[in-house]
Amino acid sequence: MSSVSDPLQQNLPPVAVARRVSVLRMLLSDVGACIALALVVLAVLGAAFAPWLSPTDPYGNDLANTLKPPGEFGLLGTDGQGRDMITRLLFGLRTTLLMGLASVVIGGLIGGVIGFAAAYYPRLSGLLMRLMDVLLSFPAILFGLAIAAIFGPGLPAVIIALAIATIPLMARVVRGSALVVLQQGYIEAARSLGLGDLHIILRYVLPNCLSAIFVFVTLRFGQVILLGAALSFLGLGAQPPTAELGAMAADGRNFLFFAPHVSVLPSIVIFVIVLAFNVLGDALRDALDPKLRK
Amino acid sequence: MLRHTLQRLLLVLPVLFGVLLVGFLLMQVVPTDPAQVRAGPTATQDVVEAIRQELGLNEPLWKQFLIYIGRLAQGDLGVSIINNVPVSQELGNTIGPTLELMVASLIWAIPLGMLLGTIGAYYRGSLLDRAIMAVSVAGVSLPVFFLGLGLIWLFGFKYPILPFTGRTGPLWTWEGIQGIIMPAITLGGVFVGPVARMTRTSVLDELGADHVRTARAKGLGEVTVLLRHTLRNALVPVVTLIGLQIGFLLGGAVVTETVFSWPGIGRLAVGAILSSDLPMAQGTIIVLSLGFILINLAVDVLYAVLDPRVRGA
Repeated sequence: MSSVSDPLQQNLPPVAVARRVSVLRMLLSDVGACIALALVVLAVLGAAFAPWLSPTDPYGNDLANTLKPPGEFGLLGTDGQGRDMITRLLFGLRTTLLMGLASVVIGGLIGGVIGFAAAYYPRLSGLLMRLMDVLLSFPAILFGLAIAAIFGPGLPAVIIALAIATIPLMARVVRGSALVVLQQGYIEAARSLGLGDLHIILRYVLPNCLSAIFVFVTLRFGQVILLGAALSFLGLGAQPPTAELGAMAADGRNFLFFAPHVSVLPSIVIFVIVLAFNVLGDALRDALDPKLRK
Repeated sequence: MLRHTLQRLLLVLPVLFGVLLVGFLLMQVVPTDPAQVRAGPTATQDVVEAIRQELGLNEPLWKQFLIYIGRLAQGDLGVSIINNVPVSQELGNTIGPTLELMVASLIWAIPLGMLLGTIGAYYRGSLLDRAIMAVSVAGVSLPVFFLGLGLIWLFGFKYPILPFTGRTGPLWTWEGIQGIIMPAITLGGVFVGPVARMTRTSVLDELGADHVRTARAKGLGEVTVLLRHTLRNALVPVVTLIGLQIGFLLGGAVVTETVFSWPGIGRLAVGAILSSDLPMAQGTIIVLSLGFILINLAVDVLYAVLDPRVRGA
């Protein structure tokens, strides 16, 4: 092999560093992506600091002030139990984002390990990827229904279901990009130096797969939030009185005609946050994919 | 092509086994004793024991699994805990409305999505293309229940022109059609975006192909080039992708049925799970999974029919 002289000492070849800068620049030149990024940051901050930002207690009832429209009581009104909508939305966002984070992290880790194993050990590949095909042939909603039936409805059921649905997708993404990386000369060099498998995967394969993983995780986060909110809306996820955006939208169904804001506000928050993740993920993919670059 | 189909069929078997096993295990984790449930709370120990024998509950697990599969093969999915109706009967009543809803949604959403995607690809980079893509990204991000509740508020309350609770009659009557309009718009609405995106990508790939340049060089009209030489080839990946998105459609259907009280299988499943009616929940999950496996199989075969390269294999 001619490229044994690849810079093994560094984690990333200098080209990659330059590329990272240009990716960031490209991302920031896209107005939509900037707005999406700002919204995501805002949502994460809002969710993280919900207990300090909220004007009231998310679980304290105020039955004298139920279903007040926005502007009349608090900035965004109150829900069916007189709870301030801003508080509920912040805490709901917190639950929804944590639910998404938990399922993407759990499913992503398991799927990632499977993907790397399938790419690195061709003998395992057939079995593992057939298994992934089987998981992939079922939609997330079916996992949601089955797991809620087994363990009973609740946030853990939703997280497990969404994690399981994420595993095969992540495994495919990771295997695909790891296979490309494994063709590179520096991997050959690392192997001929006698480095261990785990060392090679963690130090040389993983860093070079990060961009593909990053795009996938961003897009998946939006999908998982949408699915999780839908499951909670159905009553299979977060149980009352837990503030969760999907469950809040379901709660508002009862007052749809005379207090639509109880349903509409959490729905809008879900829509905006999922849209932000989708736009950001698309922009990242365009920026990281050399084929699409002008 | 026969070989391709047979191969796919063989792959389905282990999946099928997995689904049945999950269904079986689902019944094993139930804390209540099924024999006790059948016998009723006042039954004596002897009666319960007799029913245990009859149901085969004293046999080892693997034998119970075989009995279970035998019963499934005869269409016996057990009896609802809540209202004592056979699960298979309830399922039979709800499959029709669910299929109705899905067909009514796809029948307008797929053509519209393809049209938008083709327009976007043809005028790529233009303001029109960007608008179509923006709308489709927004469509993918829209919670189904938001669209449903919004429509109910608008056309059920503000301008009350359409019914929004349940199936209002058979589809061949005006009442029935009125009743399905809003659910079909809701479920189809979230499907337009993905179809438009897939079609656009696929058509873009084809537009750059050599045979399209040749077709233009021959002096064919743009419409012919677009429809016969581009869209027709672009359909192959689109059909597959639509097949893969059926899961997305199913998820939407469950939510849509709940929002509009549509008497479909998704609403039945959710209701059964929420009321801990495990035989019913198990039945709905098995039927939905089987339906899903069948759709995947059909998409695979259809793919072979559409793409001669696969057909030869």
